[in-house]
Amino acid sequence: MSTLLSWIRAWGHWLVFLLLEGISLVLLLRFNSYQGSVWFTQANTVTAKILSWGSQVSAYSNLGEVNRQLTETNISLQTENETLRQRLAVLEHDSSLTERTVSRQLAGIKRIPAQVIDNSIRNKDNYITINRGYKDGVQNEMGVVCGTGIVGIVCEANKHYAVIQPVLNSKSSISCRLKNSEYFGYLKWEGGNPLRAFIDDIPRHARIKIGEQVETSGFSSVFPPGIFIGKVKRILNSEDGLSYKLEIRLSTDFAKLREVNVIEYKTRTEAE
Amino acid sequence: MIVIFIERLLQILGLIALQVLVCNHIYLWGLATPMLYPLFLVYLPLNSNRIGNMLWAFVLGVAIDTFSNTPGEAAAAMTFTAFIQWPLLHAMAPKDCVESMVPTYHTMGRWNHIRYVTILTTIHHIVFYLLESFSFFHAQDTLIAFGASLMLSLVLMLTLETLRHGK
Repeated sequence: MSTLLSWIRAWGHWLVFLLLEGISLVLLLRFNSYQGSVWFTQANTVTAKILSWGSQVSAYSNLGEVNRQLTETNISLQTENETLRQRLAVLEHDSSLTERTVSRQLAGIKRIPAQVIDNSIRNKDNYITINRGYKDGVQNEMGVVCGTGIVGIVCEANKHYAVIQPVLNSKSSISCRLKNSEYFGYLKWEGGNPLRAFIDDIPRHARIKIGEQVETSGFSSVFPPGIFIGKVKRILNSEDGLSYKLEIRLSTDFAKLREVNVIEYKTRTEAE
Repeated sequence: MIVIFIERLLQILGLIALQVLVCNHIYLWGLATPMLYPLFLVYLPLNSNRIGNMLWAFVLGVAIDTFSNTPGEAAAAMTFTAFIQWPLLHAMAPKDCVESMVPTYHTMGRWNHIRYVTILTTIHHIVFYLLESFSFFHAQDTLIAFGASLMLSLVLMLTLETLRHGK
């Protein structure tokens, strides 16, 4: 008995130590699922870890190729997205009254849809290039219109492209008339503001209202009558003082021109 | 006897509050959490009861575990450190010191005391982080966390010691 006591006295701290550590480990293993499960899964963890290292290394060495593919996919998706967006914008475009009027007037007239690929508005003589040529039926002296009204006249048709002389050109002279009073004149552009053009030689006795509509006269074989050009903004005196000079606000914003139609119009005499 | 008991109890409560309310919220660089509760073992006097020390350390560890969701880890680490503490202090205490010596700068000498604190804290951190990771595979993360926490704990402990006894 005394031997046991003295043994406990000598080794008691070991007993307490092992007991407390035992309790701690029980707590640890019982309450913490990670430490509990690690006993049973360590072998599997070794395998899985090594395999995952291997796959990481191979994935890393392939990154260059993966990156290139991603870039390619990205570019093609961006292009597709842009194409679809443009298509959607055309389809969803809310057509204004002018556009409906223009398209109604052009009904029955052969139209060649085209896209503007080059355009300028800053020069004295501006030209527009479209992506349709004589292969598509575009010929010189054909009229060009867009949704908001008149654009110009084809002056040079190539095989696949055509150059248009728009209203914004000092050489342009388009026969036009006032919609209500039917006085007619020639539309001229004098440079500067791309929305401002003039009609000369309106007689003094004409009664003209500000805001009156100006449209094509149909005298030439280029445009059918009644295609919208713009509105009278101001009434000025001509230089010789014998007639009026009308300042016209053009309906077509040439700076935003994108989709145009080349029209194949023949006057009645030609058609017969 | 009862005075010593209350003194130990107050020490433990203070250390728990310090650890749970302050230190556990420190998580420097996502790595280092200082652990100041091993200070309890640092200031155990030379002639304290070895078994009693282990029991106190165990209780303190369990309390810390309960508050920091690390069941058993601090308890095991503290018990182990307390087990080591007794022979360590007897080996490092100056030959001519009194029996009820409390290890401080003054009683042990500055460098001796720093060594003593460092050894105890390191042992505690080793056991704690071994149990914390319990797996060879997080060895690198665990080693970094171990080192960072150990450095932080030691700096804070020695600062505290300097503030209390350094003058």
